[in-house]
Amino acid sequence: MRAMYLGNYFVAGCIASSFLGWVASLHPMAFRAIAFLAAATFIIWGLCWLLDFSVSGWLKISVNTLQALLLAGLAASAIGAGVFLCS
Amino acid sequence: MQLKMFVLSGAAVALWLVPLTALDKRVGWHKSIQGLSLGAAIACAVSAGNIARQLADEAEIEAIKSRAINADVVDEIAVSAYVSQQQRQQEAEAILNPVEHLERALALHDAEVERSELITQNQLAEPEAERSENGELERAERALQLKAKGWGKAKIILEVWGVSKGGSPKYKAAEAEYKRLVEESA
Repeated sequence: MRAMYLGNYFVAGCIASSFLGWVASLHPMAFRAIAFLAAATFIIWGLCWLLDFSVSGWLKISVNTLQALLLAGLAASAIGAGVFLCS
Repeated sequence: MQLKMFVLSGAAVALWLVPLTALDKRVGWHKSIQGLSLGAAIACAVSAGNIARQLADEAEIEAIKSRAINADVVDEIAVSAYVSQQQRQQEAEAILNPVEHLERALALHDAEVERSELITQNQLAEPEAERSENGELERAERALQLKAKGWGKAKIILEVWGVSKGGSPKYKAAEAEYKRLVEESA
């Protein structure tokens, strides 16, 4: 059951990524906004990898959990964007 | 609950993939439908995730309960096995060496009786001594009061000691005590 709930949240992340892609396709300004959001998110993601011990202490989770969350987020974004671009 | 979760999960995946692949992005209303279905898919996936998390928490609590019950049962069995082993050992000792067992029991019984007798004697002796001291003091006080009122010796002895005048040993003892008290007070 734990795998089910983790899987469902992962699918929700994938769909959210596709939704952002859909929003970006609506207007050039929306595309720029989403591109800016994606760039900022990617920078924060990289900083979280670099400062994993500090961030895990701040979020009160273990380093392993933080790394799993970062990888799952990256995978969900990639899958969602891929599905939207390939469709 | 589980069925609802599975339906919501399936719906989320279907609402995510089907409109994106089946509809054309260049058509306006197709695009709108895609956006709506993506929003609905996110809602379905999050709802399914929440339900699954709730079910996982409940399953964890049930597992903890069953572990606690198992531990209780194991503990109870272990205690009963330990007690029965002790009983068997005691019975075996009693069967193998009945004379020694009997002697030990008698020795214990004697020691207990002696100890209880000592305690009883001490308990009885203490109040008796206190009582006799108190009685003597009371008699002396009463005799002196009566003497101060002007009563005669024979009348005081009769009143305080309850002994009438005569040559009896009780009267003689009372008289001697009366004299001693009077001398002490003088």
